[in-house]
Amino acid sequence: MSQVSILYAAAVLVVWMTARVSSSRPFRLWIYLAASWIFYFSLDARFLPLLVLSSVFNYHYGRRIRRRPRVALLWAGALVNVALLGVFKYLPAFQALFPDSPFWQHVRQIALPLGLSFWTFQALSYLFDQYRGDETRPSLGEFCLYMGFAPTVMSGPICRVGDLVPQFRAPFAGSWESVREGAQGVWVGVGMITLARMLAAGHGGFGVADAFALRGPLGTADAWVMLLGYGFQIYFDFAGYSRLVIGVARMFGFQLPENFDRPYLSTSVTSFWQRWHMSLSFWIRDYVFLPLAMSRREVWWRHVSLVISMAVFGLWHSASWLFLLWGVYQGLMLVGHRLWQQLRRGAAPIGPRWLRSAASWLLTFLVIILSWTLFRAEGASHAAGILTAALIPAAGLQLPGGFVLLVLGLVAGYFASQLAVSRIPQRAPGLLSWLPMPARFACYAAIFYLAVFRAAEAQGFIYAQF
Amino acid sequence: MPTRTQIARGLLAVLIFGGSLELFARLDDYISYGAPMWGVYNAETLYVRDAIGKRGIPHARFRKWGLNALGYRGPDLIAGRPTVVCFGASETFGQQEREGSEYPRQLEQELNARAGAQAYQVLNAAYAGQTVRTATLRVPEIAAMARPAAALIYGVPASYIEPPPLDAPPVPPGRIEQPRFELRIVDRVRTLLKGMIPSSVQTWLRTREIRADRGAATAVARLPEANIQRYRDDLSKLIAALRQEGITPVLVTHVDAFGETLSDSDRALLTSWRKFYPTLQEEGFLDMERRANDAVRSLGAETGVPVIDLEKAMPTAPANFTDFAHFSDAGAAIVAKTLADGLLPILNRE
Repeated sequence: MSQVSILYAAAVLVVWMTARVSSSRPFRLWIYLAASWIFYFSLDARFLPLLVLSSVFNYHYGRRIRRRPRVALLWAGALVNVALLGVFKYLPAFQALFPDSPFWQHVRQIALPLGLSFWTFQALSYLFDQYRGDETRPSLGEFCLYMGFAPTVMSGPICRVGDLVPQFRAPFAGSWESVREGAQGVWVGVGMITLARMLAAGHGGFGVADAFALRGPLGTADAWVMLLGYGFQIYFDFAGYSRLVIGVARMFGFQLPENFDRPYLSTSVTSFWQRWHMSLSFWIRDYVFLPLAMSRREVWWRHVSLVISMAVFGLWHSASWLFLLWGVYQGLMLVGHRLWQQLRRGAAPIGPRWLRSAASWLLTFLVIILSWTLFRAEGASHAAGILTAALIPAAGLQLPGGFVLLVLGLVAGYFASQLAVSRIPQRAPGLLSWLPMPARFACYAAIFYLAVFRAAEAQGFIYAQF
Repeated sequence: MPTRTQIARGLLAVLIFGGSLELFARLDDYISYGAPMWGVYNAETLYVRDAIGKRGIPHARFRKWGLNALGYRGPDLIAGRPTVVCFGASETFGQQEREGSEYPRQLEQELNARAGAQAYQVLNAAYAGQTVRTATLRVPEIAAMARPAAALIYGVPASYIEPPPLDAPPVPPGRIEQPRFELRIVDRVRTLLKGMIPSSVQTWLRTREIRADRGAATAVARLPEANIQRYRDDLSKLIAALRQEGITPVLVTHVDAFGETLSDSDRALLTSWRKFYPTLQEEGFLDMERRANDAVRSLGAETGVPVIDLEKAMPTAPANFTDFAHFSDAGAAIVAKTLADGLLPILNRE
């Protein structure tokens, strides 16, 4: 825990207390907005004007669309937002095509504003919703807060105006009960982030990044262990972060959309995408897939729409062939699952139910874990090397034993904990209050240790780069 | 008023909480570094004491620091490959850098990169607190084991602020004294507090600690000339011992994190340096460094030993240091490059 984290925690406390004692809704709104902008300024001072400008522009543009809902107007507004993403996020990637051009050398220097992809998608959903006649009529202040809301501005969850603005208007809901619930979320989030950092730090100084830096022929076990390591690192990191910010918002009485719902327990790829990065997944479903799929009636077009939507999902992360391929792969898996469902419709089930569930889970898990190759690899040949090792049996293990044990131990521990949680009697309202006192205090100590001594070893949040 | 039962339950809760924290600290060490769950685990477990002083236990490991078969930090030596040995103290050992980024290791990479092959290896014969005198006593042993072609001497003048008396009785060989029991969580809490407490408060606390440590002794503003002379004499003996073994000595001037003008944070850093040597006032450190480096240069000129003037080559940018004198990864890289520049012509000549 650094001086900076203490400062942020103190700031949260001050804002919470000010909001609690204030009976004026507008005053509270401005307090939240000022705090959110100061927070953003503290993280990335250069781009606060861009966030404010985008907020003001989209607010007025959305009002205009509402008054004159024309499709050309909507697309022009969407284009401005996409152009913003293009300039800051995608353009620098094209420098590789023109390595000697001085102009592109300058373009490469363009920095990515913090959370740009997240708040720009929020702006886009606002424009689309206004076009569709959404009844939410935010004021300028409310819209600016929606765009720059401190808990979500950095890395989501991606919210909708209709979800957040009514909560901004409601009386202060930060009761002691919501503080308790929020604090639990924060603890769980910090614990998950810590697990991600443990995978990053690895064993004996050898972590996930070192595993992906290995060159030379990999064994099949190497490939699967490093993919498992990365799959769980990114899950713990992003799901933990999401849980943490949802918890902080909950302390103030806000209910943010969930972003993860135990995705690695999914028994189909379709179910996985309803449980992984849910706020983006639902955004893509509502604003890309559904409009596309409904533009034609043929079944094949629905499948193509699915692949295109998932390709957009992939490209949202970065303008790279690997992310595009990753998206297309996920789209094809979703199409495959739909086709399989159609094929099996009306057919007699094979084997007992538990076996079918276990087989579905295992297949889904392997398909998803394998896909992280495209997400994490440093180039096409690197990805090809990992995929080859994973799919074509090869003996040998380059990874250190300690690292392998750490990854397998954490993965086994995760599934065991999920099994245990599913069997906990829901007798008591608290997360740990059902435990006897010594076990409860040992758990508090574990969370305290992880939060204070391990999570403090900051090693960069993976999704901050998107 | 709380009842006796409530008090007992409260105490039990505190005990369980504290005990669990200690257990998790040990489990953390075990998982992260393969450390023993029970027993003492600190940097001193890397060493034993022999007739000369501290020496590394072959293949010992503490956190990121691993020793080779000779008991020195780094990988095992490859027979027949030209070797450069680095003498020094904690700066050379690599107290703060990530594993493999300490300057001797980066120097090895730099030399080999310039040679275009795995032509050289570097033996890091330093440990925290090593003096030039003990390094001199180790020369015959290192010469026999590693047969180095050249030796870099990165002496630490600060170890001559309060040097042990020349007639001090030798410490008997054996294990280094360790406490019978230690709470590992305490070290973590201390580190945590260091990161949390504002720098001005830390400086104030250090000042109080310095005063307490100094006791009745007087703090001098300038290191006596006799101490600098002793540093020079010890360097001279080390050079002679190396030459006797056929090893080419190379002197390196000492570098610290301070530039020409001192900022407030520089002054705070000087206080943190002084905490280790309470009898020299803050301003005396910079004067000591300058005079000791002059002594190194004059000794080099007098004995014909090449001097790599790191003090002049190294920018005192904060990014290069993690404190008053220890290098960051980036700083160690600059040191390695500078040393390689000075060393390669000598190695080629050899």
